[in-house]
Amino acid sequence: MTATVTNPVSTDQQAEALPGYNYAFLDEISKKAIRRSLLKAVALPGYQVPFGSRELPIARGWGTGGLQITLALIGAGDTVKVIDQGEDDSVNAVNIRRLVERTAPDVTTTTETGTATIIQTRHRVPEQPLREDQILVLQVPLPEPLRLVERREAETRRMHGEADYSRMWVALYEDIVQNGRLTRAAGYPALVNGRHVMTPSPIPRWDLPQLHMSQHLSLFGAGREKRIYAVPPLTSVVPLSFEDYPFTIEQFGDRACARCGSTTSFLVAIPNEDGSVEYSCSDSDWCYSRIDAQEHGTA
Amino acid sequence: MTITQTDPVNAGQTFRDTAPVLRVENLTRIFGPGCPDCVARTGPEAETNTCPTCGSVVACADVSFELRPGRTIGIVGESGSGKTTALRCLYGDLAPTSGRAYLSVYRDGERDIFEADPQDRRRIRNFHLGMVYQNPSQGLNLLISSGGNVAERLLAAEWRKVAAIRDRAAGLLGRMEIPVSRMDEIPANFSGGMQQRVQVAKALANGPVVVLLDEMTSGLDVSVQAGVLDLMQDIQRQEQVAMVVVSHDLGVVRLLCERTLVMKNGRVVEAGVTDQILEDPHHPYTQLLVSSVNM
Ligand SMILES: Nc1ncnc2c1ncn2[C@@H]1O[C@H](COP(=O)(O)OP(=O)(O)OP(=O)(O)O)[C@@H](O)[C@H]1O
Ligand SMILES: [Mg+2]
Ligand SMILES: [Zn+2]
Ligand SMILES: [Zn+2]
Repeated sequence: MTATVTNPVSTDQQAEALPGYNYAFLDEISKKAIRRSLLKAVALPGYQVPFGSRELPIARGWGTGGLQITLALIGAGDTVKVIDQGEDDSVNAVNIRRLVERTAPDVTTTTETGTATIIQTRHRVPEQPLREDQILVLQVPLPEPLRLVERREAETRRMHGEADYSRMWVALYEDIVQNGRLTRAAGYPALVNGRHVMTPSPIPRWDLPQLHMSQHLSLFGAGREKRIYAVPPLTSVVPLSFEDYPFTIEQFGDRACARCGSTTSFLVAIPNEDGSVEYSCSDSDWCYSRIDAQEHGTA
Repeated sequence: MTITQTDPVNAGQTFRDTAPVLRVENLTRIFGPGCPDCVARTGPEAETNTCPTCGSVVACADVSFELRPGRTIGIVGESGSGKTTALRCLYGDLAPTSGRAYLSVYRDGERDIFEADPQDRRRIRNFHLGMVYQNPSQGLNLLISSGGNVAERLLAAEWRKVAAIRDRAAGLLGRMEIPVSRMDEIPANFSGGMQQRVQVAKALANGPVVVLLDEMTSGLDVSVQAGVLDLMQDIQRQEQVAMVVVSHDLGVVRLLCERTLVMKNGRVVEAGVTDQILEDPHHPYTQLLVSSVNM
């Protein structure tokens, strides 16, 4: 790997990796267009910027929005991590990682949260807080938080334009009236920078505080619906909630991860063969690095 | 046409010193492409609101009036005379073609609300205005609870405490004689009169300075109408809210409005103190209107 390629263009050497394809799969014009949409998204936190979603060798709905962002950003010296529901070795994550490796040979891939420069993820935010030199790219299936209360696209656009979110609030109010609490679990809506309501993609509520006033940049890509949006560093992300019914994250009581013993991470239930249930970290890198540290006595 | 708003009843009294809460100047809304002839070739003299040159509908043109705090003004006129269009422009449902409107609560009444950016325009509507639509299905979401309908206005005005929202909604619905036990029921189950009363509760929820009421009683039985009008008179006595009452029923306007505008073919043809207009109508159309009803 040479670190001299600062502005990645197709060269003979790179084309060898996957003959007939451009560096990072997409052509340079498409990547430039995506980066321009990303700049606009960063300038308008939480605002959904339309972009010309490209075809990829992965079906839409399988992370093509996130992948296009990743491909438009990577260059020599980048280290990419791809996770699906917190795991690096799911089929989907492996496929995306392989595409990056084969089309951008000067990019390294990793499973370590700490060493990645770009982390593409589906449905989770890593437990370990990210730094200002890291970018989180989230795959988004449904980018429009107002779709629940309004089907018409022209109307949701007007609502965002006027910051007219009362119908969203009514839906939350009715939830409390009917169920006695806020029942929304994944993809909890939040107000970004005091202006735009966004869906953080179907991450658990647990992850939402990680996006608030964070050090890192979060980018959201929806391939099918052709939308990109962003939460820049040090930007407020406030879950919609009430003074007397505040936003709360998932509670795991005194449960701990069966593998690493963590009590401070998002846990998923794993059924055993005998019918009992065990819990383990959903973020596999978090879990493995804790096990590693314990084995090497640095815990 | 400009209407001179001298008030013979209150001339020289404190009334005159009170700045208007709402001032409307030359409000005009044209549906269609429009052309330079539109306004000149329509109106009561032309006896049409449709421009013969370009076919556009001049739904209302040059509508001007002032509304003082806590007062009620009526707009009467035949079907199609532009009453609803004028209200919808003021509320922000429609953009006017031209004209200006000033609200005392928006930048001290010095900036035209039609020039406000979309976010400000929405805030003006959410915090300072209320509207009761001719048809309850326009003003209510019939599939969320009546409490939720009232709550929507409070939420829009940034109330963020569920208990306080429920208290306020229950109070307003009770005030409009909707049993609190039915607060969590959807208005689709309610009678027409009840639905209109839920609309009024909703329109008053955020403590608006002006409420716009469009034919609120016209879809109701006469007996039910009387009850709703009684409640409206109570509201007038007890709240510091100014109202624009649109009706084609002179009886409603006589009961609720000190002052009245008469509209025909999209223009105001007569304006003044309601009782004077009814006793001594000047414009031939008003004379016809008054003589046609048994007051
Ligand atoms: N969206 C629209 N597109 C085209 N023309 C319209 C539209 N809305 C209203 N108009 C026309 O504008 C004119 C005024 O209509 P408006 O509804 O304001 O009258 P109105 O005085 O409220 O009548 P009514 O007493 O029947 O409610 C009518 O000729 C109507 O057909
Ligand atoms: Mg009407
Ligand atoms: Zn673990
Ligand atoms: Zn014309």
